[in-house]
Amino acid sequence: MATAVISHEEEVRRLQRREGWRRRLPILPALLFTIAVTQIPFLFTLFYSLTDWRIDTVDPRQFIGVENYTSLSGDKFFLDAAWVTVKMTVMAVLGSLIVGTGLALLLDRKFFGQGFIRTLLITPFLVMPVVAGFMWKTQMFNATFGVINWVLNTVGIDSIEFATKYPLASVVVVLIWQWSPFMMLIILAGLQGQDASVLEAARVDGATSWGTFRQITFPQLRPFLELGTLLGAIYLIQVYDHIEVIVGGQPGAKNLPFYIAQRSIGGGNRFGLASSYSIIVVIASIIIANIGLRVLSGLLEDDS
Amino acid sequence: MAEVRYEAASRLYPGSEIPAVNELNLDIADGELLVLVGPSGSGKSTALRMLAGLETVTSGSIHINDVDVTLKPPQDRDIAMVFQNYALYPSMTVAENMGFALKQAKVSKEQRAEQVREAARILDLEPYLDRKPKNLSGGQRQRVAMGRAIVRSPQVFLMDEPLSNLDAKLRVQTRTELVDLQDRLDTTMVYVTHDQVEAMTMGHRVAVLKDGILQQVASPRELYRRPKNRFVAGFIGSPAMNLLDVDRADGQFALAGTTIELTDEMRAAAAAVDGTTFGVGVRPEHLKFTSSGSGIAGEVSVVEALGSESFLHVKVQHEGREQVLVVHEAGDTELVRGDNVTIVVDGPVHVFSPDGESV
Amino acid sequence: MAIFTRAPKAEPILGQNRLVAALLGLLTWFIGLLFFFPLFWLVLNGFKEESVANASPTLIFDPTLDRFSEVTEANSGLLSFAEAFGNSFWIVLISTVLVMILAVPAAYALAIRPMRKWRDVLFFFISTKFLPIVGVIMPIWIIARDLNLLGTRTVLVVLYTAMNLPLAVWMLRSFFAEVPKELIEAAQIDGCSLLGQLRQVILPIVAPGLAATALLCVIFAWNEFFFAIQLNPTGASTMPVWVNSQQKFQGQFLAGLSAASVLATLPVVVAGWVAQKRMIRGLAMGAIK
Repeated sequence: MATAVISHEEEVRRLQRREGWRRRLPILPALLFTIAVTQIPFLFTLFYSLTDWRIDTVDPRQFIGVENYTSLSGDKFFLDAAWVTVKMTVMAVLGSLIVGTGLALLLDRKFFGQGFIRTLLITPFLVMPVVAGFMWKTQMFNATFGVINWVLNTVGIDSIEFATKYPLASVVVVLIWQWSPFMMLIILAGLQGQDASVLEAARVDGATSWGTFRQITFPQLRPFLELGTLLGAIYLIQVYDHIEVIVGGQPGAKNLPFYIAQRSIGGGNRFGLASSYSIIVVIASIIIANIGLRVLSGLLEDDS
Repeated sequence: MAEVRYEAASRLYPGSEIPAVNELNLDIADGELLVLVGPSGSGKSTALRMLAGLETVTSGSIHINDVDVTLKPPQDRDIAMVFQNYALYPSMTVAENMGFALKQAKVSKEQRAEQVREAARILDLEPYLDRKPKNLSGGQRQRVAMGRAIVRSPQVFLMDEPLSNLDAKLRVQTRTELVDLQDRLDTTMVYVTHDQVEAMTMGHRVAVLKDGILQQVASPRELYRRPKNRFVAGFIGSPAMNLLDVDRADGQFALAGTTIELTDEMRAAAAAVDGTTFGVGVRPEHLKFTSSGSGIAGEVSVVEALGSESFLHVKVQHEGREQVLVVHEAGDTELVRGDNVTIVVDGPVHVFSPDGESV
Repeated sequence: MAIFTRAPKAEPILGQNRLVAALLGLLTWFIGLLFFFPLFWLVLNGFKEESVANASPTLIFDPTLDRFSEVTEANSGLLSFAEAFGNSFWIVLISTVLVMILAVPAAYALAIRPMRKWRDVLFFFISTKFLPIVGVIMPIWIIARDLNLLGTRTVLVVLYTAMNLPLAVWMLRSFFAEVPKELIEAAQIDGCSLLGQLRQVILPIVAPGLAATALLCVIFAWNEFFFAIQLNPTGASTMPVWVNSQQKFQGQFLAGLSAASVLATLPVVVAGWVAQKRMIRGLAMGAIK
């Protein structure tokens, strides 16, 4: 009898081990692939950043420690690009969040042609960034045949070459145009997932429309707004296409991803130095991500 | 056709100190309808899911027909289960839902259709065989879930609160149908519920669980008449038994100042137990109002007049504190809130030792 | 089943008053049309002669299909329309299929039979999305160069798969999490194998979610420009690179560029229109649950 009990326990353990593997196995291919394509190259970048490597010379790469990093504080181009990155990301995320919320509130009502207007409104998100950039640059912002300047001219204002004069603002406008629909979709889902009985209760309790929005709808929307901010920030911090197309290499609107590409594989060939820029971007992203992930873990709390 | 036996079966969740089911010993006879009942967290569902093979038995064993199934996966146990939310496959029609297990067992198409039709006939589901679950009412979904179970003629039916999503009236009706069905099929059934009325009306025997530990297993009548401990006494019966803490004085127990008559047996049994604070319980129907004057004096605080019977909540002074006794009266009552009444005990009294066991 | 029904539709927040409602409706129409106007203008320009497009904006012109035939037939030497379209089609298709092959089992494991610390694994996947592309672009360029993969479709397939995988795992997990646990247990008791459970019980339920996820992957991969221009700017490259190449350094190109843009954008926009409702759920509801 005693031996039978032991073998049962062993059998239970064996089955649980097998069950554990069965649970983990399906994740492994995706996990290994992701590690291979993202994590391992990142380690290489880390290594490059400690060298003075240039691929256009035959000199072997020399290990120079943190020299690349210490030089950053005096590197005007780097600091400019970093500052542009911050401004661009913050303005684009906030702008699209505000416009997106407004659009969602307008759309969350019954009116004639609701589905049609929603379809029109989500379209900018589907448009290829390169196309969006060209379209705005050549047909909206352009001083001679851009529609915006045509409108300005008819009300008596002289043409402005927006993309040259206000490069950062031009890029941000296009980013907001593309990302507001995304925010709108997320917030619309939040609005439509609201519990109607809670809103009715508030109305019975005599709350005004604005009071209901502020005290009931807004708190319910918060996770959706946070999610939108997070996802928007992930994508907008690494904008490249719009900058390349709208302003090219113009200084006022060159963010770090653009500058890094320019200094390394885009012909600059300074792999060591550019890698140290990359690491800085990654660190900044990790900080944002940590804040963001805390928000996300809040979202995941109640569905274990 | 099967007997089921739990032998010291336990389920300990990883990271938890206390087993969800603790050394459960239970024999279920062939053709028996056994109800597992208990409050939430009592381990009743876990015990059922251990039998189903959905929970690992961490120690002990479970046998179906003397075959040790402890380590067998669910599909090798020849059981069928009805879930609380029915768990119908939403993408399949009623007929496909009911025939799914047979299809897995590679039963021929013709035979499958035949068996599904037969089950549908028993459950009045024939008109709905081509519908998807989402186009059925709650009661119909429940019957489909039943149908999915009976189609396979399993050795044991497992029911996990199958009626709790139905409205009150339908629940009572389905309850009777289910008992009738089990009787006709004569298949062993293990039925989990938190509703003691369901347990009492359906079970051949009822097993009461609390905190993963089996408290008592007996026929509904036995459970009602002779609860083994204070928990069972309080859990079984609606409204619940009046249970008060009573200090023993001179070997006697007094309820609100009135000494209770005990049988000789009980007096002797109580005398053998040490301690002072005992539990004394009297069912509402064993309390009567009297006009003769001697008895427990109290004041009516709540009147629940149900027409055919009435329950009166009476405030009494017991050992210096205000307590409420519930008194059952057949038929309608003329008493109203605020009336002063006198109560006498007219029926069996239950005495529980300081550690809660019946004496 | 209660799990599949949504909460009843809430009353709108703005405007109970009828006049206000009508005005807000008009405002919404106006903003909707305003948002769409740049694209409308783009389409118009695609039908113009170069001389008309490169002039003060006008609505009155003789529409012509010439620009479309020019851009599709022209072969600038590096990348023709047919090549770019074919490359994009295959790269997007294969990478999306790969993403789904990798993401479905992972999402299943994370949602339906969660292992211990599944949250950490999920967070790892999402956190790779926070790793800016520039953090890995140089080693990837070097590796691709050393493997002779620069200028090939393969490098983009691999990178687009990696790019979309975290988002797909994240979205699919939430769709899988909506499958009631009892359904899988019922299938287990009914004698269904692991593969059978996935195929016969789970996939029919999550199919709309799979479609939405795949579509989003298609959109992101189809529109991707950075990797394409940096790692594969030549004959094996994709539609965004082709559109970019329509920008000429001399002569008038605005109408031709517009026509090219319309051609490059249309497939994804139409797909997005058709599947918009599912995408709303996939993007937002999916991500929250």
